[in-house]
Amino acid sequence: MSGQSMSVGPGRMGAILLVAPALLMIGFLFVYPFGYSVVSAFTDNGEGSWHIANFTKAIEFYSKDILFTIVIVSLSTVVIGVLAVAIAGYLTLGENPTAVAVLKWLYRWPLFIPFIVSAQLMRTFLAKNGMMNNILTSSGIIEPLAAQSYLDWRGIVITFVWKQTPFVALLVAGAMASIDRTTIDAGRIFGASRLRILIELVVPQIATTLMVGLILSYVVMLSVLSVPLMINAQSPTMLTVDMAWRINSYGDYGVANALGIMSYLFTGVVAWFYLRQSLKDKGA
Amino acid sequence: MVGVGIEIEKLCVGYDKTRVLHDIDLEINSSEFVALLGSSGCGKTTLLKSLSGFIKPMSGQIRVNGNDVAQLPPEQRNMAMVFQSYALWPHMTVRQNMGYGLKLRGMSKEQINRKVDELLTLLGLADFGDRKVPNLSGGQRQRVALGRALAVDSPILLLDEPLSNLDARIRLSMRHEIRSLQQRMGLTAVHVTHDREEAMVMADRIVILNGGHIAQVGTPLEVYEQPKSNFVATFMGAENEIALNVERANGTLSIARQEAVKAASLSVSNEIGDGGVNWQASAAGSVRGRFRSSAAHLRADEAVPEGHLALAGRVTQLSYPGGVFRYEIESAGQLYMIDDPCRYAVGDVVTICVPAGGLHLYSEAA
Repeated sequence: MSGQSMSVGPGRMGAILLVAPALLMIGFLFVYPFGYSVVSAFTDNGEGSWHIANFTKAIEFYSKDILFTIVIVSLSTVVIGVLAVAIAGYLTLGENPTAVAVLKWLYRWPLFIPFIVSAQLMRTFLAKNGMMNNILTSSGIIEPLAAQSYLDWRGIVITFVWKQTPFVALLVAGAMASIDRTTIDAGRIFGASRLRILIELVVPQIATTLMVGLILSYVVMLSVLSVPLMINAQSPTMLTVDMAWRINSYGDYGVANALGIMSYLFTGVVAWFYLRQSLKDKGA
Repeated sequence: MVGVGIEIEKLCVGYDKTRVLHDIDLEINSSEFVALLGSSGCGKTTLLKSLSGFIKPMSGQIRVNGNDVAQLPPEQRNMAMVFQSYALWPHMTVRQNMGYGLKLRGMSKEQINRKVDELLTLLGLADFGDRKVPNLSGGQRQRVALGRALAVDSPILLLDEPLSNLDARIRLSMRHEIRSLQQRMGLTAVHVTHDREEAMVMADRIVILNGGHIAQVGTPLEVYEQPKSNFVATFMGAENEIALNVERANGTLSIARQEAVKAASLSVSNEIGDGGVNWQASAAGSVRGRFRSSAAHLRADEAVPEGHLALAGRVTQLSYPGGVFRYEIESAGQLYMIDDPCRYAVGDVVTICVPAGGLHLYSEAA
């Protein structure tokens, strides 16, 4: 016993030394700036008395943008979820090996393309005289006069969905591949169609992974600046553009931080739902 | 729901270029319980998967009630299955698992509840209906899987080693439960197992598979007492092997004296239970004999009872598995396992006595 307790001391020190660099990094690069931002949002750039003037101003100026951001990110998250489940579902349940192989090879490509490049791609693709409209008019699907630009809220949603679906699909496909295959076979032998198997038997079994993927995507989309800036440089726009504008044009860190804290709150609400659900699952 | 007959004709099944089942012909009668028995890799699970539709055969027919279903997907075959891993849906409760097949058949909530309640009571799960699957024991999960399969009133029940994950005690009781439910409901059941005893106690007929071929089909009594080939005899527990020289005349076998074998005259069996030798060899001369450790007994003297094959030997090892002692006997360089209730010591000189009814003879090449 004494030998054991003797060895605990150096072991604990070693453990502290091992995690110290990571802790320091988190402290300096996240906790300190975050704390400073919170303080700055409730004061005048970290000085003076506490107040909520920055929040009042942020809501007064940017309430439309706040709503726009929530709608865009929520809509994108839903569409990403549906498409990711469809892709992963086909990879899991598809019976045509060639189609499954092609899809498996294709769907991951956007993962390797940065947001700013994706936004640029979408600018050339979704513009009024962009590639999409050219294809639609040349193939006779729409009249040239009916061509319209998608470089507005729809463009942001399309870009987010295109960029983030592969990430969620990758997670979800991995989770689907690891579920007990006989639970799918059982659905088939009792007469369930492929779609019912996917929705009623497979998705509930990978719901936690799907939720994690969607929450991560939601957080990423809330923080992307390049896409709304390049695709929809008009009002209303997303909070990231407003934050950049407050800092670059006015040096107004107080309102920018207030908007940032709102973004944190939107993320926090989603995280709370996730934690509550996972606790419920564990308790069941 | 009463079971329906299944006819399998010239069924060939394979994965890529490897053929697993070769020209399988098998007829399963309505309301019959058939066990597919064999060692790992013999093709028994492949045959069950072909029946269920998870594997499409290369050629051949599977007729259910006269209709060929060989190319139909599983969802169109109206069969129910109990899987080895139970394959229960972990996000659903016991009630939801058991009612899912009924929901797919468009039954109303009331009808589903009534049917599920009946099954919950029948299977002793009345208090567990609202419990999630991960919170059940192995035996309870097994019952839920069985209940789910029975709920859909399918005439054919497929059982893919459903008892292999249970502990020995529960397995014994579940054998009888499944068998009595199948009989009560009149279902046609096909049961895959590698457990000989399980197949014997549950099935009306046993199909023994070897290397993708049917080695023998018969009632448990037939395959146990009259194995048609050396493989079946070994698989059914006749592990002791002996080379003999025999002559056959007028239903009697004359066994020639050899190094440790005493000359004997044994009758040949005409029907099961008549106490004669199971003669499956094509001709007299050199044949291969097989017998079970439980079929023989030991004697300390050399007096051999009539109608017995006798071998002189020496005890080299002994163990006590329960009920009888199990001896390893060395005789003319060969080792034999013999069960006997009497106590002998290592080194004792003994005589192995095999009654004619416990001896199976095959051609050398079989």
